[in-house]
Amino acid sequence: MYSSNNHAKNARIFCQDEGRVDWHSKALWNLRAKRDKAAASIPEWEALRQAGSQIKLHTLSNLSHYLQMFEKQCVANGIHVHWAKDASEHNKIALDILAKHQVKKLVKSKSMLTEECHLNPFLEQHGIEVIDTDLGERIIQLNNQPPSHIVVPAIHMKKEEVGDLFHEKLHTPKGESDPTRLTRAARQHLRDQFLSADAAMTGVNMAVASEGAVVVCTNEGNADMGVNLPALQLHSMGIDKIVPDHDSAIVLLRMLARNAIGQPITTYSSFYRGSKINGEMHIIIVDNGRTEIMKDKILAESLKCIRCGGCLNTCPVYRRSGGFSYNYTIPGPIGIAVGAQHDDSNTIPWACTLCGSCTYVCPTKVPLDKIIAHHRRLKAQAGKLPFGKKHYMPLVGKLMSSPTMLNCAMSSARVALKIIPHSIIKPFSGAWGQYRELPVSPKSSFDTWYKQHTAAKKEAK
Amino acid sequence: MKIALFIPCLVNQMMPEVAVATLSVLEKLGHEVIYPEGQTCCGQPMTNSGCFDEAKSTTLKLLNAFKGVECDAIVCPAASCLVAAKENFHEFDDSAEAQSVINKLYELTEFLHDVCPIASFKKPLDFTISLQLSCHGIRMLNLASPSESMGTKFNKVEAVLQPIEKLNIVYPDPVDECCGFGGTFAVDEGAVSAKMGKDKAQAHAATKALYVVGFDPSCLLHLDGMIRRQLLPIQTRHIAQILDAAL
Repeated sequence: MYSSNNHAKNARIFCQDEGRVDWHSKALWNLRAKRDKAAASIPEWEALRQAGSQIKLHTLSNLSHYLQMFEKQCVANGIHVHWAKDASEHNKIALDILAKHQVKKLVKSKSMLTEECHLNPFLEQHGIEVIDTDLGERIIQLNNQPPSHIVVPAIHMKKEEVGDLFHEKLHTPKGESDPTRLTRAARQHLRDQFLSADAAMTGVNMAVASEGAVVVCTNEGNADMGVNLPALQLHSMGIDKIVPDHDSAIVLLRMLARNAIGQPITTYSSFYRGSKINGEMHIIIVDNGRTEIMKDKILAESLKCIRCGGCLNTCPVYRRSGGFSYNYTIPGPIGIAVGAQHDDSNTIPWACTLCGSCTYVCPTKVPLDKIIAHHRRLKAQAGKLPFGKKHYMPLVGKLMSSPTMLNCAMSSARVALKIIPHSIIKPFSGAWGQYRELPVSPKSSFDTWYKQHTAAKKEAK
Repeated sequence: MKIALFIPCLVNQMMPEVAVATLSVLEKLGHEVIYPEGQTCCGQPMTNSGCFDEAKSTTLKLLNAFKGVECDAIVCPAASCLVAAKENFHEFDDSAEAQSVINKLYELTEFLHDVCPIASFKKPLDFTISLQLSCHGIRMLNLASPSESMGTKFNKVEAVLQPIEKLNIVYPDPVDECCGFGGTFAVDEGAVSAKMGKDKAQAHAATKALYVVGFDPSCLLHLDGMIRRQLLPIQTRHIAQILDAAL
């Protein structure tokens, strides 16, 4: 993590180690390649995306109906349902439940919502130990870092770095970097945590309204190991996680793991719809700005996201700037889409070439490039433009709208490119000349050429 | 057909050879080509930065240059400028007259594939080209199916070039990753833009093709700067220049 929140600055620092950039980019591109293969294996993939998009749009358009149906079914299943309008309410509800049961240690499986709410530090302040049980999450927790990716949270760390960390924290042999041995050590360590935990918490991939059930997907079985041991289980979900019924959950499940990492389905896809015997099950439903986002028709579509991470894997900018450059808990295209409003550096909407690859990768057709462009417009309207745009854009607008001025300026630029040595021009040509050779200056503009050409043609006649 | 040329400011000022080749191709194909005066910028640098107020006056000036011009089609040799012109004309002017201009707008490859296909080429081109499938052309103009999409595969750019005798068409790996230009992104996010450009330039050079050939001059300008900085043995050409050489 870097001190400054400016994306371009953080990205520049990340780019200084080109070998690491190449490694990071390739690791994530491999996931994209696996996704392509898995998606291609489903003949109806594009139809499935369309269905996924429609299911989410339909549910979001009838959100209060489905949320109430979900609550009713949950209560009928003996589940306690809590409503939180924001992060602090969510954290307080979680703490109250845990305190009531005198919980000292909580095992938690992956949940971007609890990251969004900064639950871990809050509970720790109140004397509750929180153990993240997803391997990647545990690695970054031991390393005192936030996730750099929403599905593979420790993707920024090399196995040697994990080896050093485990040597320090879990006392594995010094220099051990074999992934199997390191995983085995983590497994042993986590087993102890599961057995000594007083409560378990999970995120939620989908909440099935008709059944009053939450769907939790993991590859490691860590959510299930947690939920099935202690008596108390908590599940936190955003209001956007609702789907109407099992059929719609299945449509999304068919795409989730395929689009994330090219796997047909997550190894564990558990539907929880009630507590264990003598146990207690709580679901906390969180808004935290989501209804606000829904007021804007374009931004609202970001709530169709199922957090597969496919857009991060394909994003050429994310892969080359790293997850910590975005000034928000969630990085990459979806991070910009749902985080730009909170971005006080006002740079993350511009951390994008608007190439549109994310939009085509997205399993629920979130129009990410359109949303990102829209954020730029909203920032501009609010007078929050980065990189001096506030000052130079009006000048560019004026210059570009006058063919005479534009011609004048560009012909002097062409002359300058020709007669002044490049060594002198380079410092004045900013980021263009810093990284690239300056364009070879043409003799004249097309306008001028065309006038001479047509005059010559007339004469020839 | 009677065709009006839409030559974006970047092509007009920095890459006139692309406009000259476009004019030549269309004339060789027997079209009557005119070049309406008073063309300015499509507003893309401003609207892509979020600055719509600043884009309005230049966009409307460009639109005015085409209003009332008698022609069957308006053809532009730059995909992303064309997309921006379409969107921005629509954004700032919802009149029927503006819509009739928008309806006539075509990117050059699109025009040569969808509207007036080339009957035959005259000269063989005995070399290899690596196609630069720029983002806005494929993902917003449907010039080719993007690699992310699992729907029907198509590639209008290859289809237009493919009949040229002896011409060998190859692709970089990955086939359609963004080159990193991105308009003002190239300077705002210089480090990432340059790394993307470097990777793309190297991927093209690795094909051992003679030219990187594309339909978006701005991407080509960026790639050209990267190629020359890296001293890579490949050069950039616009698709109009290749077509012109074969006609």
